[in-house]
Amino acid sequence: MNKNTKSGRRDFVRGAAAVLIGGAVLSAGRSRSPRLVWQIDPAKCTQCGRCATHCVLAPSAVKCFHSYSICGYCDLCGGYLRPDAKNRNTGAENQLCPTAALQRKFIEMPYYQYTINEDLCIGCGKCVKGCSVFGNGSLYMQVRHDRCVNCNECAIARACPSDAFKRVPASDPYLLKSDQERRIV
Amino acid sequence: MSTAKKNWIWFIALMLLVLGVGIYLGQSRRTELGKSFDYSLEDYRKVDPALIRYTEVDRIVPNIGKLSALAVAPDGNVYVGGENAISIFPENRRLPVNGTPTCIAVDDAGTVFLGVGDHVEIFSKDWKNTAWPSLGEKAYLTSIAVDDWYVYVADAGSRRVWRYKKEGGKPLEIGKKDWANGVRGFYVPSPFFDLAISRTDGSIWVVNPGYHALENYRPDGMPLSKWENSSFMIDGFSGCCNPSHFALMPDGGFVTAEKGLPRVKIHNVDGSLRCVVAAPDQFDDGVLGLDVAVDGNGRIYVLDPSQGAVRIFEEKK
Repeated sequence: MNKNTKSGRRDFVRGAAAVLIGGAVLSAGRSRSPRLVWQIDPAKCTQCGRCATHCVLAPSAVKCFHSYSICGYCDLCGGYLRPDAKNRNTGAENQLCPTAALQRKFIEMPYYQYTINEDLCIGCGKCVKGCSVFGNGSLYMQVRHDRCVNCNECAIARACPSDAFKRVPASDPYLLKSDQERRIV
Repeated sequence: MSTAKKNWIWFIALMLLVLGVGIYLGQSRRTELGKSFDYSLEDYRKVDPALIRYTEVDRIVPNIGKLSALAVAPDGNVYVGGENAISIFPENRRLPVNGTPTCIAVDDAGTVFLGVGDHVEIFSKDWKNTAWPSLGEKAYLTSIAVDDWYVYVADAGSRRVWRYKKEGGKPLEIGKKDWANGVRGFYVPSPFFDLAISRTDGSIWVVNPGYHALENYRPDGMPLSKWENSSFMIDGFSGCCNPSHFALMPDGGFVTAEKGLPRVKIHNVDGSLRCVVAAPDQFDDGVLGLDVAVDGNGRIYVLDPSQGAVRIFEEKK
């Protein structure tokens, strides 16, 4: 074995070690930076309806969320009933939600509990608008992370007119209106 | 036609078909939401001009932030509360307060009663301060009224009205559910809960906002009468807490202010609509806390926190 062959092998070992160490350092660095996911800032959301039409998923990964601690449990709920509702009941003609995703249950006079059927919700935000105008603003939009595919360039974020979409750490992926909702999501 | 030419024509036709299908699919995935997804309140914001019988004649712009409370004293002075202060008009005197008063009342002697968060503070004419004990952790005082004998306080936190003697002490509870006596309890989904003392008989009128009702009680808490009208139309009240504020006219009518669809109206003693003072397009969108007060001449004062002013309305001549 001559001298040139020896130095070549040494160089190869050195190079490989450098690549391995560099890779390890890079991957360590990467694992320390948090993984980010998309989320809607409820304070900026204007319920324009684009969440329903621009998500790559059908139906959209954006769903209506309900903050029970903020809700007034009203009978005349601006998020549930159309402004021109003839009666305050569950008749389809009285409901604001076109897909009947917002459902209500009588608790005790005069309180009603409102829940969202996420399988029916398409993320149009119509109920959120009604709740914000007439109610306490307990309904709001959020990206559901058990559905979202977390596109690198979110199609809704690109179309959002109010810049409400932002990146948040995957470890804390919801921007909830009340901390009491953390145990639910 | 040569075979090569035919092949080219077929190829271009196929490509055009693929392009067409691609455009069709692309567009169909991006269709806008249909008409049933529209949500517009424009029709409800419009008010028949014939109903608007008042006009804005003047404005008071206090030099304090976060306007939160308004009262017209028996002597005609206007008291405006805000961040750490109240201002008295027309002399424009600014007096310091520890905290932000959520409601103000003034008696015949010029003593000022403030609701500040969970307790009542009293300021004598020379601005010496006395504080009554807190009404509890849940208490949030939203309205206060005073007559010769009692001080009534609306507490949105505990959904009660508390009646104090003028010298203070333990308050009497009004509004606890008592079906035997016809008291259904106050339903207050958000912190808008107003009351006023009748100018004629000393009874109190209290808003039951979740029911869109105005309820009349004797000073001992026994119910006398009520009227209510839940409706998105101009003659009723909508949303989860309306009317958010009200005041009594010298003739017993009700001046009501609403949130959601911000508007100020006058209802007759039986609850029927008399007229509109200010329509929704006269206010900023989403304005909250339109407190109202009426002076002895029937001039209506509207606290408009979004414009940082007290707006004065008079009946059109």
